[in-house]
Amino acid sequence: MASEEDVLRTEIRWSYVVAGATALILGAILFAGLARGINPPSNLERIDPKTLHLTGEFAEGNLGTRVAPNGDVTVRIVTTQFAFVPQCVVVPTGRRVTLRFASPDVIHGVLVAGTNVNTMVIPGYVAQVHSTFTKTGDLLTPCHEYCGLGHSQMWAVVRAVPPDRFAADAEGRANCDRL
Amino acid sequence: MNAPAGSSRFTVLAGSAIGAILLGGMLFGFALLPIIQGRQAGIDAWTAFCRSLGIGPGTPAASSPADTAAPRPVSDVAWTGATLAALAGAAPAAPPEAAQQCASCHGEKGIAIDPAFPNLAGQSAAAIFKQLHDYRSGARAHDVMTPMAQGLAEEDLAPLAVHFASQPKGSLDVTARADRNLPVADLVFRGDPARGIPACQACHGARSGGPIETPTLSRQNEAYLADQLRRYASGERGNDIYGRMRGFAAKLTEDEIKRLAAFYAWTE
Repeated sequence: MASEEDVLRTEIRWSYVVAGATALILGAILFAGLARGINPPSNLERIDPKTLHLTGEFAEGNLGTRVAPNGDVTVRIVTTQFAFVPQCVVVPTGRRVTLRFASPDVIHGVLVAGTNVNTMVIPGYVAQVHSTFTKTGDLLTPCHEYCGLGHSQMWAVVRAVPPDRFAADAEGRANCDRL
Repeated sequence: MNAPAGSSRFTVLAGSAIGAILLGGMLFGFALLPIIQGRQAGIDAWTAFCRSLGIGPGTPAASSPADTAAPRPVSDVAWTGATLAALAGAAPAAPPEAAQQCASCHGEKGIAIDPAFPNLAGQSAAAIFKQLHDYRSGARAHDVMTPMAQGLAEEDLAPLAVHFASQPKGSLDVTARADRNLPVADLVFRGDPARGIPACQACHGARSGGPIETPTLSRQNEAYLADQLRRYASGERGNDIYGRMRGFAAKLTEDEIKRLAAFYAWTE
């Protein structure tokens, strides 16, 4: 029969294995975060949900895709019961795109199929995700956080087009109708 | 019972291993990762560290293009605590004086004298308040209602809304209802996922939990309902915040509009 010392030695041996596994997991998180830019959306930016429709950035006329004079592409989407506004946004492939979401009512979720865009949209905060789209086509974008009775009918489309087909107007706006 | 030999050594070893992992994890998560990632976004080490702890509202991690477009709100109504509190009050014992003007079209008890006008009896107070507010601000326009609402003071709106909301809805004529019962239940209760149309009841049903300003539609006048859906679809009416109704109405066919209007007009 094993003595107390034997048991102890076994436990210590196994604790090395546990420590090794933990170090491996932490290493993987570090690698993903530093080399691949994968981390939980960590943008902390507050916005008043009660006056979202009255404020500058998320007023109805400012939503959709916008190209800045320096070439930065930003997409602004409002998630509301029970629709994404606008329902279709257009983005260029091969370019870094900033997606910014806000909600005036309840918690919604956004998932752009096949990309790293996957975030919750919490009223009171701006959810921000950066992505570089590689696949062209209409990417299905469902709400993936139960938001009410119309949740299952709430979806949008992110239309990823090659850079040569992506065109913005004089104000830097691009929308699905122009394609 | 005596501790077995080597037990204290094990406690120290395990304790320091757990402590090291905890400290290491905190160092990675709160300092190392945010500082290195923040460098790519042009954020200094101290700011990045504070953001990772959730202290202080951060600026966007990467600069986003400034928005030069001026906001053009579709409605000035904001559901602040003060507004909601005014609407939550009990109905005044006597109708507000301003209600007399409403009565000439909407009826003394909120049942419209002409089916082209909406019934107000039993309507949600928030819905009545928002529409009055929007007529006042110009977000919604009507030849009669715009001057009427502009003649009211801001503080008149909530008592009026609460007064009409507290009136009982009109009774249904069951005999007339029978020939109006057109099949449209799929849209009403299930919506059309393929077209991105949520079920009407998802917001308009009793206690459904949609936006606060959503009106109740049951026993509303058929002609009024159909007319408003057409106006939303054409964009002539556009005081729905974030185009919730404009978007959905534009996807409906004329036949569906007629059926939906009939459904709600003749449903409990």
